[in-house]
Amino acid sequence: MSTIETEATAPESAGSVRWARRREVIAEVLRNPLTVVGFVIIAAFLLMALFAPLLTEPNQPDPYQSPRDWANIDSPPGEAGHVLGTDSQGGDVLYGVIWGSRLSLQLSLTVVLTTVVIGTIVGSIAAMRGGRLDNLLMRIVDVFLAIPELIFALAIAAVLGPSFRNIILALAAVFWVKYARIIRGEIIRIKQSEYVAAARVVGDSTWNIFRKDVFPNSVTPMVVQATLDMGNVVLIGATLSFIGLAQAGLTEWGAMVSAGQSGLLAGEWWVSTFAGLAIVLWALAFNLVGDGLRDVLDPKTEGR
Amino acid sequence: MQVRDYLIRRLVLLPFIMLGVSVIVFTLTRFTGSPVGIYATPNMTPDEVAALEARYLLDQPIPVQYAAWLGGLLRGDLGWSGVSVAPVTEVIGVKMAATLELAVAAGLIAILAGIALGTIAGVRRNQGPDHAARLFSILGASTPTFWFGLLLLVPFYLWLDWFPLGRSTDAVFASIEHPTGLYTIDALLAGNIVAFGDALRHLILPAVVLGFGAMAIIVRMMRSSMVEAMSEEYVDAARAKGLPEGVVIRRHARRNAFVPTTTVIGLSFGFLLQGSVAVELIFRWPGLGQWVTSAILSGDQATIMAYVLITAAIFMIVNLAVDIAYAYLDRRVVLGG
Repeated sequence: MSTIETEATAPESAGSVRWARRREVIAEVLRNPLTVVGFVIIAAFLLMALFAPLLTEPNQPDPYQSPRDWANIDSPPGEAGHVLGTDSQGGDVLYGVIWGSRLSLQLSLTVVLTTVVIGTIVGSIAAMRGGRLDNLLMRIVDVFLAIPELIFALAIAAVLGPSFRNIILALAAVFWVKYARIIRGEIIRIKQSEYVAAARVVGDSTWNIFRKDVFPNSVTPMVVQATLDMGNVVLIGATLSFIGLAQAGLTEWGAMVSAGQSGLLAGEWWVSTFAGLAIVLWALAFNLVGDGLRDVLDPKTEGR
Repeated sequence: MQVRDYLIRRLVLLPFIMLGVSVIVFTLTRFTGSPVGIYATPNMTPDEVAALEARYLLDQPIPVQYAAWLGGLLRGDLGWSGVSVAPVTEVIGVKMAATLELAVAAGLIAILAGIALGTIAGVRRNQGPDHAARLFSILGASTPTFWFGLLLLVPFYLWLDWFPLGRSTDAVFASIEHPTGLYTIDALLAGNIVAFGDALRHLILPAVVLGFGAMAIIVRMMRSSMVEAMSEEYVDAARAKGLPEGVVIRRHARRNAFVPTTTVIGLSFGFLLQGSVAVELIFRWPGLGQWVTSAILSGDQATIMAYVLITAAIFMIVNLAVDIAYAYLDRRVVLGG
């Protein structure tokens, strides 16, 4: 397709072609029943996080600490007005699960958004500039990738001291490298394609080529990775707080599993079980959607 | 030839990447200021603290401190492990053997289950078995190892008492020599069936928990290679020869589909290493993971940093080994047709 032809067509029709393609993709994504299940679970969690103050009376002064019902310690589910029971401190499990969804959303959104931005900047600079800068940045990426994510984040969080905010910081410091590598690879691949060569011939500036041709075409694998990471980040964050890197009594699901641990072996199964189930559902939902997106958006991995 | 050059490049880069990892680790130890607090006690005078700082070069500029620390590292001095009350180098070998035994056992479970599920999913693409295999493997990747471990402890440890916690029974442990530190191998070397059974009974539950999580990536890769292999000409040729479908799948398609799958085994080893942290904590498995969690809770930096260095080294060496194996297998498959 020549550039002249594209110029000649009206912008509305180019836009409508793009919309038609988008609608096609959405329809294809929703054809997979497992992806739909993932979307439904995510929607449920989002509603839960959004309406947490309406679902349960927020605890004062800190809503992220369960209110204590000292008269009903270790109550089984359904008794004494506690639908999912209470823990050994009288903390309501349902309250923890609901307010935990807010912490999970905060954790995953903060980490994924910051790392996507940092990764995109680093990867794009490396790919567009090339040469020694590219080499230097990619060796730094190699060093980061040499340490497994959870272990790296664990060391950072341990040095910073136990708090949920430090878990977020530690994960953000670790997760950007994958995005840098993905976007760099995509940009280098697309830079060699014909339409970028055509834009060069027409005399577009590097920045314009990047903005109009290269970047929009390299977003796809980033979207898939970001979706998967929305789940992974919560999974790893929960592991860190389970080990003891979040503050005590926090309504974070990993910390709740840890708090219910001794009860579990004494037959009080509900605290750890429900908190853990929340983590599984969260991670499962994003993994299902991410996997479904990958099949549709990135068919080359399907055949590889 | 190209592959060989690539592998040589990787091998040459390896020490430089480890150097980079050491810079990161060192930076982390200095993140919260001078580590003199580890050695100082509250009743020391400022002069005594200054003498301590001078002794450990902590009054020198940061690059000098790094050089001294790296020098110690290269001589095999990884510092003092507060939680083990011993030099890091003295205890790290035993911990590493424990974690490697667990990780390799879990890896074998993940590979065997992953190949089986990936094959079924690839052959029955977009049908019921495919969806089921996919859901099962994604469930593995979505389940926190610490939670799954706890849930399995209730029936298998608490109620049935089939699988004990820890790594061995004391009396059995004392009954044989431990030249390798891998208890199953040690028992086999000693020809002691009781010790082997004991080691296995301790190993199975944590290995299953860890393997379940590592399986997903192998299933995914195996499935897509299987889909591709099933559309290859050699599969048509094998069918045309009148071979039964089962033989075509097992001998022709699956054997070839396995080769690209080896590439993700290195990646899944990273998962096994990081997953072992929580699994060892739950099952009281005395490896690197349990060691580092107790170090975190008591603020023992030397142990945490030694742990990061050693896991990064293991991870990179395993990945390089997997790449070499892949290059070898790939060439053989191409040549062997």
